[in-house]
Amino acid sequence: MISKTFIKETKELFREGRVRISLFIVLLLLGVAVWISAKQYQNINEQYAMAKTAEREVWDNQGEKNPHSAAHYGTYAFKPKYPLSLVDQGVDKYAGTSIFLEAHKRNEAQFSAAADQTGLARFGDLTPDFILLFIIPLLIILLGYNSFTKESEMGTLTLLKSQGISSFSWMMGKWSALFFPIFVKTAVLFLIAGIVLNNLNDFGVFNWTSLGVMFLVYIGYYIIFINIVLLISSLVKKSGISLVLSLCVWILACLAAPKAASNIAESKHPYPTRQEFAANVLKDKKEGLDGHDPWSKESKLLEKKVLQEYGVDSLHQLPFNFSAYRMQKGEEHEAEVYFKHYNYLKEQYANQSKVYRNLAAISPYLPTRFLSMAIASTDYDTHWDFADAAETYRIATQKFLNDNTAQNTRYGERGYKASANFWQQLPAFAYEPPELDTVLHRNSSNMMVLGIWLFASFGLMFFTTKII
Amino acid sequence: MFSYNFKYELKLLLRSRWIQLLSLVLLLIFGFATYNGLQKVEKRKSDILAAKNEVKENDEMMLKLLDSVERGLSVNASPWTIPTSPMAVGTYHPRVAAMEPRPMAFLSTGQADLFTHFVKPTVRSDAFDLNFTEMTSPVQLLFGSFDLAFVVIYLLPLLIIAFSYNVLSAEKESGSLRLLAAQPIRIQSWVLQKLGLRFFWLVLLVVVSLILVFVVLRLDFLSEFSTFLGLVGLILAYTLFWFAIAFLVNLWVGSSAKNAVALLGLWVTFVLLIPSVLNQLGNTIYPMPSRNLMINEMRSLKAEVTERQDEILDNFLRDHPEYALNDSTQARGFYHRYMASQKLIREELAPLVNSFEEQLQKQQNWIARYKWLSPAVLSQESLNKMAGTAKSDYEDYRKQVVAFAEKWREHLIPFLYNNQDFTQADYGDLPSFDYQTKSNNPWMVIIAILLMSIGLFATGFVLSKNRGRNIILNQG
Repeated sequence: MISKTFIKETKELFREGRVRISLFIVLLLLGVAVWISAKQYQNINEQYAMAKTAEREVWDNQGEKNPHSAAHYGTYAFKPKYPLSLVDQGVDKYAGTSIFLEAHKRNEAQFSAAADQTGLARFGDLTPDFILLFIIPLLIILLGYNSFTKESEMGTLTLLKSQGISSFSWMMGKWSALFFPIFVKTAVLFLIAGIVLNNLNDFGVFNWTSLGVMFLVYIGYYIIFINIVLLISSLVKKSGISLVLSLCVWILACLAAPKAASNIAESKHPYPTRQEFAANVLKDKKEGLDGHDPWSKESKLLEKKVLQEYGVDSLHQLPFNFSAYRMQKGEEHEAEVYFKHYNYLKEQYANQSKVYRNLAAISPYLPTRFLSMAIASTDYDTHWDFADAAETYRIATQKFLNDNTAQNTRYGERGYKASANFWQQLPAFAYEPPELDTVLHRNSSNMMVLGIWLFASFGLMFFTTKII
Repeated sequence: MFSYNFKYELKLLLRSRWIQLLSLVLLLIFGFATYNGLQKVEKRKSDILAAKNEVKENDEMMLKLLDSVERGLSVNASPWTIPTSPMAVGTYHPRVAAMEPRPMAFLSTGQADLFTHFVKPTVRSDAFDLNFTEMTSPVQLLFGSFDLAFVVIYLLPLLIIAFSYNVLSAEKESGSLRLLAAQPIRIQSWVLQKLGLRFFWLVLLVVVSLILVFVVLRLDFLSEFSTFLGLVGLILAYTLFWFAIAFLVNLWVGSSAKNAVALLGLWVTFVLLIPSVLNQLGNTIYPMPSRNLMINEMRSLKAEVTERQDEILDNFLRDHPEYALNDSTQARGFYHRYMASQKLIREELAPLVNSFEEQLQKQQNWIARYKWLSPAVLSQESLNKMAGTAKSDYEDYRKQVVAFAEKWREHLIPFLYNNQDFTQADYGDLPSFDYQTKSNNPWMVIIAILLMSIGLFATGFVLSKNRGRNIILNQG
């Protein structure tokens, strides 16, 4: 009975003009979106590779120079784009792409694409994730809103009743008829994306497992929508009302809830402004050692401590240059200050995430969005990861430079210059995004919420609908 | 006939609880959106105030320090931060260049969550290293804000669709259309009257709930009455546009469900697709130069300039003989070389930095040409401008700040090259920043959207002349 319902429903769907047209439009949009994203992806990664090599060349060819001058001159860490960003761009547009790594200062990633675009950018982009997250659920509503209501409207309900079909198999038939085209469409899209990515000259690691998991997440999301739409259709008498109600769910889940969540999260757990943040950092920095200032209280204390430690009575007798040692200690103090303040930001974000998770109770869109971004390595966590890796590299670079001065000069010696080939000894900055396991582990709560939605919607659909 | 229609419609809307439900929904979403907007504006104001107070306190400390130095006392501060040095004043005691919110800033978040509202440019700052983006979680930027603009542009059309998708088809489906056909009224006029009445009720409810929300949240919208009128005018025009679309769909398409699908498709097209396609096409036709490659260029230039510092200073002084005349000591230190080379870097990088601006301008021009394709784009832009949170506002602010940074530098540079100390007496002459807002006029957009709507209504009338009979005859 399930298969008969399935075949009848599928035939009906494909005979209807609106279905053919909407399926075609969605496919067309997807094609355009994938094409645009692939082009952008290639373009950005070419620029990334170019910028990275050029920057390294500038660093390597500094010539003879004082290491601390080089530290102030600094270097840049560039953020690459990862293959799956082709499917989900996530927050990439809103996060900076390059971090300046210099002495004494942790800088934030600069130059987000959104800041360089017109106000229209805030409407969103025609990217695969837009289609996957917004348009396909809408398509589900269009295909399924009258699944049950049409039976009573066309008067076929009486006929059906005489067939002796059970509620369950009737529902299953309808369900699979709605699920089938969506499943095929999504599968084709992911397959095409996989093939495109496999053939692109990619700079990150593309693996099919991540793509597969992402596919499953979206299928889960669609199943939730299918369940909701069918549930509404079976509870309501008229097609029109069923459509309007399903649309309300869509508006609430995909449009209103994320925005409301963002407002609530911000008012409850605000970030400091950039200037406030800088002022707080400066205040804490002043309370500790400044590597450039030999006269401060902290400098004198450090002097005393080091002299005691080495059992000598003047800085000249130390086996290393104390100025450079002090510079390094100052650097370490500053790094700690930054660590503290950036941790505060992370805490605020963790609190904000809780708000998003709580509101996921009314919106399956939220956990799906977060999971999808995370798997694509385009979420905020990956950005933090990248920024942290850059900071670790910055601290290591400062130590590398300060140690060179400390070992090669005596206290009081001025005008030291490291040799021209010294710069090449600094290892290059390398960053790998977190592995899939880590990502999934980190997002276990999102997966749980999505799971609850899945089961709850199935449960509701099967147990509350007694149509026949 | 009109008065019958009016009474009948009102009864219908009240009995189906449409009006009650709609009022409640409107009050709720307007209230929530306005509250959100106000909270953002409050935060912005208090941030700016805190920054200004901090500068005030800092200034008092600076004056105390100056006083001590001038009286020959020893001071407890790092030598390079003592404000007798003009460069110390220029670096450690910058002014606040703030962008105060407009009275109606709560209307639309626009770009306000992306950009900062105050910066403190120092003598070292230039167009390149002043950072104008705000520290916001990118997730928030991605999701956007639940503000009045969102309610008006995204949600209001959906309410209209739910309010009007079955005006004609419901009559057809319930069989009452045949009765209607016997009345002395053309079917188009009848649909128009029916929609007109719904438009009237919706607009009335919108305006009343808007005023109610403003009064409850103690917004002084009367002092900004012309902007408030602009807002109401815009909402009215935008609403009318969607009713015009509903009119066409009602006349042309068939059953209630098909109408709803068609209307929804149009909503997706106007509100979601056209804006994003326009944006992406703009980006493709006028691509932004790469910021990463700009960094490369700036880096090699800086490296080159550092090597030639002495030469650059010599050239600079040759161009400015007045400094050689005024200064008897001719002492030259770090800052003399540094500021001269920074000036050179600024000049050399100007074309590169400007190329971003030019490209953005081209994109904006492109969008300005095609924005007429979607009233949603027009309305969003208009609301952003009323709120003072449009991209153009932030561009304008950025330019004013860059100019102010130049003024700040120009004010202090003569002290440096004349080797003249900064004194308490010079404090009063320090330049300050005053943000100038541009006035804007939403009426052109409003008239444009109104004309579009009238055009749609007229099209409906003309093209469906022969369909009127068919609609009635073809019913099932």
